[in-house]
Amino acid sequence: MKRGLDWFIVNIARRQSYLGRTCSRFCRLRLARRPTARLWSSCLSGNVPNAIYRQQSERHCHNYFGELLRLEAVRKYIEDLKEEYKGISNRLSSIQPHEEDGKSLSRRHVELAPLASLLEELQSSEKDLFELESMCNSLKARDDRELIPLVLEEQQQLSKIIAVLQGKLLQTLVQKEEHDDSNVILEVTAGRTTGGDICQQFTREVFDMYERYAHFKDWNFEVLNYTPADYGGLHHASACISGDCVYRFLKYEGGTHRVQRIPAVGLSSRMQRIHTGTMTVIVLPQIDETDIKVDLNDLRIDTFRAKGAGGQHVNTTDSAVRIVHIPTSLTIECQQHRSQLENRKLAIRILKAKLYKQAAEKDLEQRQSTRKLQVGTRAQSERIRTYNFTQDRVTDHRINYILRDIKELLCGGKQLDGLINKLLESAEKEAILELIETCNKGTTEGN
Amino acid sequence: MQGKIFFGCRVSLVSCFRAQSRCHNRSDRATFHWAASLTAPNKNLCRLVHETMTGANCVTHWQRIFEQNGISEPQYSSEHIISHVLGGKTIHSLAEKALTRPLTVEQKQMIWNLCSKRLQHVPVQYVIEEWDFRDLTLKIKPPVFIPRPETEELVSLVLSELAEEEDVLFSVGKTRWQNSQQAAHPLFLEIGCGSGAIVLSLLHFFKQSRAVAVDKSPEAVELTRQNAERLCVQHRLQELQLDVLSDSQKLTRICGLVDVIVSNPPYLFHEDMSGLMPEILKHEDHDALDGGADGLDVIKAILQLAPTVLKDHGKVFLEVDPRHPEMIQNWLQERASLRLTYRATHWDICGKDQQFLHKQGEAQRKLVTADQLDQPEAELRVRRPREEDCLISVKMLHKLQRQAESN
Repeated sequence: MKRGLDWFIVNIARRQSYLGRTCSRFCRLRLARRPTARLWSSCLSGNVPNAIYRQQSERHCHNYFGELLRLEAVRKYIEDLKEEYKGISNRLSSIQPHEEDGKSLSRRHVELAPLASLLEELQSSEKDLFELESMCNSLKARDDRELIPLVLEEQQQLSKIIAVLQGKLLQTLVQKEEHDDSNVILEVTAGRTTGGDICQQFTREVFDMYERYAHFKDWNFEVLNYTPADYGGLHHASACISGDCVYRFLKYEGGTHRVQRIPAVGLSSRMQRIHTGTMTVIVLPQIDETDIKVDLNDLRIDTFRAKGAGGQHVNTTDSAVRIVHIPTSLTIECQQHRSQLENRKLAIRILKAKLYKQAAEKDLEQRQSTRKLQVGTRAQSERIRTYNFTQDRVTDHRINYILRDIKELLCGGKQLDGLINKLLESAEKEAILELIETCNKGTTEGN
Repeated sequence: MQGKIFFGCRVSLVSCFRAQSRCHNRSDRATFHWAASLTAPNKNLCRLVHETMTGANCVTHWQRIFEQNGISEPQYSSEHIISHVLGGKTIHSLAEKALTRPLTVEQKQMIWNLCSKRLQHVPVQYVIEEWDFRDLTLKIKPPVFIPRPETEELVSLVLSELAEEEDVLFSVGKTRWQNSQQAAHPLFLEIGCGSGAIVLSLLHFFKQSRAVAVDKSPEAVELTRQNAERLCVQHRLQELQLDVLSDSQKLTRICGLVDVIVSNPPYLFHEDMSGLMPEILKHEDHDALDGGADGLDVIKAILQLAPTVLKDHGKVFLEVDPRHPEMIQNWLQERASLRLTYRATHWDICGKDQQFLHKQGEAQRKLVTADQLDQPEAELRVRRPREEDCLISVKMLHKLQRQAESN
C-alpha cells in the first residue's frame, strides 16, 4: 500500500499529463495484489451464489472450487466423462488394438485416465471424511475428550487434501489446448518509430532473451533467419525452438511488445527524450507435416534459375528459394542451407506452419470469447507488454502484472519464467471459468 | 587516398581505397588502407598492415572486389567463403557475435587466399573444397564435376519412384515400402559418379542397398571413395574406373545385374561448350560435360549397356538436356532390340530446361518385334509452363505396355 502511494506521488511529480493513466494503473496495482477471488468476481456473471464474493483468501478459493463442483452442471459434465471413460475401457478390452478406431479410442482413454483416477481419489477422500464426521458425532455423543481433537485434526487434513484434489480435477477438466506440446517457430520483427533505432536494438535484445530462455528451459534453439539492421540492431529474425511443451510456454509471448527508452543515436539521444517503439513477436506452433496438405499446384516456387539455362550449363552457389502460396499469397523465402532442396523443404515446413496458424486464427475469431488472454488475432494487434527502460519497469497488460529490473528479465532466466507462469495461471483460471459458463449454458438450454 | 605496399613482391598500384567498419557506434572505428595489384591474374594480392577487421566487414569488402572484377555472384561467393573460414556453412548459420568478432591473423590469411583464388574464376565449391547435396556434405576437388541443384531433383525422382511416394516435390522421409525384395534394398549402378553425389544420396537413404559407381576419371573415383568413407557407406559401394564408351563389356562382367541405373551423364552439345562461363570452362573437367555433337554420346552408350546389366523391370534414370527427350524416344524406337520402353519425362522445378528421362527395362526372356507392341493407352497430358512463373509439372507423357510372349 505504502509502495503504491509513493509510486503514485512520484509519477504525479514527473509526468502530469499521464495522470489519468497512472491513476487507473495504481488502482489496478491494488487489485493485482489479490488476484484470486477478486478477479473472478469481477468477471463472473453472477451464476454463482453471492456468498462467495465475501471471501478473499486462498483457502476460500478452494471452497469456491468445492462450490463449483457441487454445481449441477459441473457434476453432470463429470458424470458424463466418467461414463465415457468406462465405455471406452470396455470397448478397448473387446476390440483389436491396431484398428483405426482403436487408436483414437485409446488416445481418448489416455486423456481421460488422469481425470478418472482423480475422481476416484476424491470420492474415497470424501467417503473418509464422511466416516470421520460420523465417528466424530458418535464420539461427541459418548463425550470422549481424548479422541475428539485427534478426529478434528484428521478432518482438517482431509478437507485440505480434498480441496487440492478438487483444484486438480478442475484443471484436468479444462481442455488442453491442441498444440501445447509442439515445437515452435518464433519470429521477431522490429516496428517503426521516430526514435532512431530503438526498435531494432530492442528486437535484438528480445531475440537474445528468448534464446537464453530456451537455454534455461533446455530447449533447442535453431536460428532460421537473421536479418540484422544497421548499428547492430535486428530487423527481423526467426528461430525454431524444439523441446518439451514449447508452445505451451511461449504462446503468450505472441503480440506487440512496446518499448520506451532513450535512443542511443540521433538527435533524440542528445536531448535525452524518451521515444516509444514497438516490435512484434509471432509464435507459430510447428505441426507435423501430415496435418496440413499443401497442393503443389497452388505453389509458385522461385529459384535463381527463373530464366536461362541450368544444369551442366551453369555453375552457381545461389540456393535461395522463394515459395508463393497462390491462394493465400503467403510468401516464404529461405536461404538457410547451401542445398536448394533443403531450403525448399524448410520453406514448405514454414508455409505449413503459417497456413495452420491462419486457419487457427479464423477458428478463434469465430469463437465467441470475451476472455482477455487470447492467442491469436487480437493479441497480435494489441500491445501485450510495455518495457520502460527509463523507469526500469515491465508491465504485462493482460494480467496487469508489473516487474522491476528489465536487465534481469532480458537475461531470460527465472524472471521471465515467473512471468510466463503467472500468465499460464491466469489463462487456466479463465479457462475454468469458461468451462463453468459453458456447463451452465448447457443446463439452461436443457431446462 | 593513396598508399604503397611492400610485401616482398613487385607490385604495381592500380587503385587503393579505404573501407570503414559497419558498426559506427562501436568503439573500434577500424579503417585500413589496402591496395591490390590486379594487372596480371597470377600476381598475388598483398596487403598492408591493417587494423581490426570483422567477418561482416570482410564480406562487404570482398563483395565489392568481386563486383569490380566481374566475378559472377559476388555476394554469394564472398559470403560462402567467409562463413566457411569462420566455421559455418552459410552466413545465416553464424551468430551475430561470430561475424562482429575481430578476425585472427590466420583467419584473415585464409580468407585472402581463398578469395584470391575466387578472383581467378575458380568456382566457390572448388575454393572451399566442399559443398552440400541434399542433406549430405561432400568434399569437392578440382577438376571433378560439381553437383548441380537440378541433380538433387533427379535423386528425389528416383526415391519417389522406388518408394512409391506421391510427391516428387516434397521428398518427405516417410515412405511406404513395397513388399517386394527389390524395393527394400535395390542395387544401383551409377555411371559418371563424379564426386559421388547421386550414389551416396541413394545409399544414405536405402540403408541396406549396395551400389556400383563408375567413372572415366581416376580423380572422380578417388573422390567418390573419400566421400563414401566420410559418410560411412564405403562397405556398400564399389568404385570402378572405366569408360562406358569403350569398356562396357568389362563393366558387365564385374557389375552383374542391377535394379536401377542412374546417371547425370555429360549431355552438353559440343557447340555449346565454348559459350560456358569461365568457372566451368577453365576449371571443370570437360569430359564430364561434353556429350558429343548432339550431346547423346554417353547417353546412347548407357542405353546400349542397359539390357546387359539391368534386371527384369529394372529402371534407368537420366538427367538430360531439354532437347533430348524426343531425340532419345526416336532413337529407342529404332532400336527395339534394346527392349527398353520410354516411360516419362519429368520436368525439373522450373519446368523449363532440365528434363529427367525415366525408362524401364522389360523382361529379357524373348525378343519382341515391333508389330507385337500395344498401342499407347494413356492420353497425352502435357502442361506447358508459363513464361513468367516456374511451375512444377510432373506428368507422364505416355505409357507403353508390352506383352511378353509366353511359352
